[in-house]
Amino acid sequence: MRNMFSDAPRAALGACYWAFFLYLMVPLSLMMAMSFKDANFVAFPIGQWTFDWYVAVVQDKQFLDACLYSVLIAAATTAAATVLGVWIAMLIVSVGPRGQAVLFALACLPAVVPGMISAISLRIFVSEINLPTGTAAIILGHTVHGVPFVVVMALTRLRSMPANLVDAARDLGADSVVAFFRVTLPYLGPALFGGMIFCLLLSIDDFVRTFFLGGYRPTLPMLIFARVQGGMSPEINAMATLVLVVTVSVGLYAEFLTRRARTR
Amino acid sequence: MQPVVEFANVTKSYGNVTAVDELNLRIEAGKFVTLLGPSGCGKSTTLRMLGGFEIPSSGRIMLAGKDVTRLPPNKRNVNIVFQDYALFPHMDVARNIAFGLELQGKSSDAIHRRVMELLELVQLQGYSRRFPSELSGGQRQRVALMRALAPDPQVLLLDEPLSALDAKLRQQMQIELKAIQERTGKTFLFVTHDQEEALTMSDTIVVMNEGRVEQMGDPKTLYSRPQSVFVANFIGDANLLKARIVGGDDTRMALTWNGTPVEAAATGRRAQPGDPVCIVLRPESIECSTSPLAGANSIPGKIRQRVFKGNHTSMLVEIADGSRLMALVHPTDIDSLSGEDVWVRPAGA
Repeated sequence: MRNMFSDAPRAALGACYWAFFLYLMVPLSLMMAMSFKDANFVAFPIGQWTFDWYVAVVQDKQFLDACLYSVLIAAATTAAATVLGVWIAMLIVSVGPRGQAVLFALACLPAVVPGMISAISLRIFVSEINLPTGTAAIILGHTVHGVPFVVVMALTRLRSMPANLVDAARDLGADSVVAFFRVTLPYLGPALFGGMIFCLLLSIDDFVRTFFLGGYRPTLPMLIFARVQGGMSPEINAMATLVLVVTVSVGLYAEFLTRRARTR
Repeated sequence: MQPVVEFANVTKSYGNVTAVDELNLRIEAGKFVTLLGPSGCGKSTTLRMLGGFEIPSSGRIMLAGKDVTRLPPNKRNVNIVFQDYALFPHMDVARNIAFGLELQGKSSDAIHRRVMELLELVQLQGYSRRFPSELSGGQRQRVALMRALAPDPQVLLLDEPLSALDAKLRQQMQIELKAIQERTGKTFLFVTHDQEEALTMSDTIVVMNEGRVEQMGDPKTLYSRPQSVFVANFIGDANLLKARIVGGDDTRMALTWNGTPVEAAATGRRAQPGDPVCIVLRPESIECSTSPLAGANSIPGKIRQRVFKGNHTSMLVEIADGSRLMALVHPTDIDSLSGEDVWVRPAGA
């Protein structure tokens, strides 16, 4: 009895964890299960299992087009955010401590500004500069949102970098540009890769900014949103399951790669 | 002969702190030169100024007759071996060594040959595909050395490169460094605070203190003819006796210590009769005996402490005026010095 009593906090800790785990997993599992159900409505028991909905999804031209569009935007966003993020991180480490605090706070602002506010302000901004809503505007919005994540990742790695690596490169005849591309950038590599994957996933996932800045061509979240308004269907479940599986795989693979690179 | 490196009135200050103060220094080509001094004496700043990482506040630095005072590091033909090696972690050994050569625009054939030649020089032939994280401390040290030597610099700068190694490996690397310097015929400018390291490897030692050169010379001269108390204390152990000059010439001096007349070798610094001086007595050049020794400088004393050190015993002898002398006694002589009373005499005086 005594033993059980002393272990109570530990048991509570475990229970909390499992409660959280269920809370996270039950809705996802439900969605995944329903995507295999041979019926048009959400209900148990599943009864007849089927792959029909997946077949329908991969043959759905609108879905495939939305996927492609989302990936294109995500790629462009990631490229732009990486360049900007590394640039800002390099600037931050090159100034004095007070400047660092200010620059860092500014760089991180887009990550903490509510998506809605950011979206509205960006919408006002693009119409002010006469940029039509659509691809360019979406990329602009996503990039602003992605930059802080690249900055944080790059900065963490930069701060762990021995200062004399760049000195050594300069000493051996590299000017500062060559030193950056041949020493600093490869050193940032693994961390940067993690930041880029994060950027990619953020962009693919983004709804609010895209909604305000988008044109007629829907991205994946917008397509799913439009479909949901027409009523839940197992096809949406199948779409969502596919998106879930792909993003989780990419995320885990990226984590695996950066982990391996870091231990070297 | 024209020196390969020349510092002319070089001063470097950071705000109110003067790191290097009116430094004048000429370094001959092909020599192993060591800047020796305690931390904060300005030796590393001097090295970094020659490397191009610090710009002097005033003065001029010449490299092979060319003014390089304000040239950036990549525009001057000197290379540094950094204290923690600073090997590029994402490149293997061969690419690390090739880095400087590639930037010189050498052909890949020439680069390959040079890298192999250098790896052979330090017996690391089989290691060209290893990454720095897969090497031991001594191997990293060698790779860093070869990377800096690869572009054939006019002067190789070494910034306390042995301080991260353990004692045994450090001694081994000292000998290896000296051998490499002799084989390549390069000018090495080595920075250290370790007097033993300096004595082992250098052709010339520059003792620095508070941003200035205290004394410059070959190890033997510095050890046997220190020109200041600082140098005497910093290089080796020294017993110091305060005395006054009575007379003498450039080579020998007549002194008076505690009323006793003594003779000593002069350091070459000008002095007048009556000036205070310090006599430097090295512990190993003190003779001890249980009876008065023949000659002028025999002094009676009492043994206060014996410390057995294996190949010698170090003895603390208190002499007439209360000052204490450290003397090294050979194992074969220690048994005859059993009592408390002892006579000491500077050997060869």
